[in-house]
Amino acid sequence: MNGLRIFLVACWLAGLFAARLALAESVTLPGTAGASFERYPASGAALLLWMASERGLSDAEMRAAESLARAGVEVWQWDVLNSYLLPALPGSLDRVPSEDVGTWIGMALGTGKRVTLLAIARAAKPALRAVAALPAPARAGLCVVLLYPNLYADAEPLSEPAYLPLGRLDGVRVLVLQPRRSASTPWLPALTAALTRAGAVVDTRILEKLREGFWVREDATPFEVEAGNAFGALLLRELTTWECGK
Amino acid sequence: MRYIGRWLSLTFLLVAVSAAAGDFQARAPAPAPALRVQDLSGSTVSLADYRGRVVLLNFWASWCPPCRQEMPSMERLRKKMAGRPLAIVGVDSGESAEEVKAFLPTLKVAFPIFLDPDSENTRRWKVFALPTSFLIDAQGRVRYSIAGPTEWDAGEGLALIEKLLAEIPATQR
Repeated sequence: MNGLRIFLVACWLAGLFAARLALAESVTLPGTAGASFERYPASGAALLLWMASERGLSDAEMRAAESLARAGVEVWQWDVLNSYLLPALPGSLDRVPSEDVGTWIGMALGTGKRVTLLAIARAAKPALRAVAALPAPARAGLCVVLLYPNLYADAEPLSEPAYLPLGRLDGVRVLVLQPRRSASTPWLPALTAALTRAGAVVDTRILEKLREGFWVREDATPFEVEAGNAFGALLLRELTTWECGK
Repeated sequence: MRYIGRWLSLTFLLVAVSAAAGDFQARAPAPAPALRVQDLSGSTVSLADYRGRVVLLNFWASWCPPCRQEMPSMERLRKKMAGRPLAIVGVDSGESAEEVKAFLPTLKVAFPIFLDPDSENTRRWKVFALPTSFLIDAQGRVRYSIAGPTEWDAGEGLALIEKLLAEIPATQR
């Protein structure tokens, strides 16, 4: 009886694995030393470029990419830490070559789909620097979603925050998704002002009752667990409401 | 290979977090920014109410695990320093009175907890991480700050508080 149970569980796991393999394909980024991303193809007109945070890429994020693809949004998901063999530290993402990110964005724009770039936490730095380096016409057609971006150059108590120099973001539409339960939430107006000074057109949205990394927290609340399980749907809802590029 | 890399990365992260904990910053004595907060009954409290005492001002939130982690050491500090001119003041950042009231029974602390529901004080004090704490001397000047949790009833935190208490003239202690 136990043997049968183990066999059935093994079949179920193999099925899940096969389903994921069938949905995602690995694509090597040209001009890099073997950096690759996962492509979740979809027939819709929208393409979401997903840059994982300094925590790396979690199963919940992969499941979210799958659900978005099933909903018609193609996803290119890039675990940059893994690509460049970097440790899971915020500073690691500062070492990601923005030229490679630019190549990635260029590939996406070349598909002719409506491209939205999603960067989580410190991934906002290489993402925005790459966007700033794009030719103006390409930049103007791009939508950027930043999930609790960390763009501090310096943030010491009792001192004004200093933001990273990112280059010009003229005309780029940026949506900042900020979990309510975050020490960065009180600083959302200052962040918005910094992005606006760089030329971006900024919208913000508060994600109520959530904390940073809600989809991967060991101490997640039931609400966060539910939101993490529906991460793809949450993003789809925000993208649909935002209507960037339509 | 990928998982080995992740474990190594996690180890690096844990080492980094450990190194960051307990990292007090000495500050050139300067008047503290204004603090205008409300207690749980709605009365306004300011830092001036504590003039003449050393103040441990702690910004925290109920959803923040490191904040909850250090709270018991602050309560032990309160008991240890009973009768001495030290005030421990907790300021909840960005949560409503209802949220804080619902959480407080689990906290089991007897020092005052104040509210900063619109985070106005959090911004004025330039708090970018939770918890963040400040040690304010009896003249109302910020002398030390720390971003991240610490054990307040032992080690460097306690030593710095004793140092600030020792600056108070003996007749006023």
